[in-house]
Amino acid sequence: MKTVHPPRLAMWLLDRFGRDDEGLTGDLVEELDRGRSRAWFWRQVVAAIALRRRPRDPRPLHLLDDSELPIPGPEPRREINLTASPIYGIGGLGLVALALLISIMSPTSWLVGLAILLNGALLGALLGYVRWRRTTRGAAPPSVLERK
Amino acid sequence: MPRNLLTDFELMILLATLRVGDDAYGAQIAREIEQTSGRSVLLGAAYAALDRLEQNGYVTSSIGEPTPTRGGRAKRFFRVTPRGLRAIKETQAALVKLWTGIPQLKEGRT
Repeated sequence: MKTVHPPRLAMWLLDRFGRDDEGLTGDLVEELDRGRSRAWFWRQVVAAIALRRRPRDPRPLHLLDDSELPIPGPEPRREINLTASPIYGIGGLGLVALALLISIMSPTSWLVGLAILLNGALLGALLGYVRWRRTTRGAAPPSVLERK
Repeated sequence: MPRNLLTDFELMILLATLRVGDDAYGAQIAREIEQTSGRSVLLGAAYAALDRLEQNGYVTSSIGEPTPTRGGRAKRFFRVTPRGLRAIKETQAALVKLWTGIPQLKEGRT
């Protein structure tokens, strides 16, 4: 009997974006081998990916006689910012694109940013120097930068 | 005591698992539902429901041996637990109670 090979792209998509379950992947391959069409296979793969990415249904299974129990709301989604991007929803490539856009649309804004950075560095150095003077001399010099 | 009622799809999954027997796996369960109800089943949805049922203790799963027809992938076998059986019976009882006493559903009436 001739073995039917599943579409490579569909398999890659399922491995990459679908659920990590070789039972499901094996079942799909087996069904294709049993005579299901490629269109059926693609439909199953797309649905499996969509179901994997859909947030879990917070509805509890205990539907009746649970009136005394508090019904938990949906859990807040906890997202880890792996790109360490300061802007929500924009990753590494997004930041590069943003920098390119700023460079094209308004190159002078880089100078403003640079001036802000330099001012911050100067202020930091000044504060550090004042603190160092205070610790080395013992007495607190009058300062306009620090609260008493 | 709280009742463990199931959704229609969860109920179908559990009943199909029982019908198939000890060596029930995802594709077989889906096929059983398709053959008995004529309803097309998405395997991803079946596995999502089976995962939920396993988390609630209604089924247990075990991994079998990999086979060549599955591209070297193993089967995941499912078995209904006593708790799952109880949930089926409780759901059936609730549905039967809802069913009875409805004049529109009596035989001979449309």
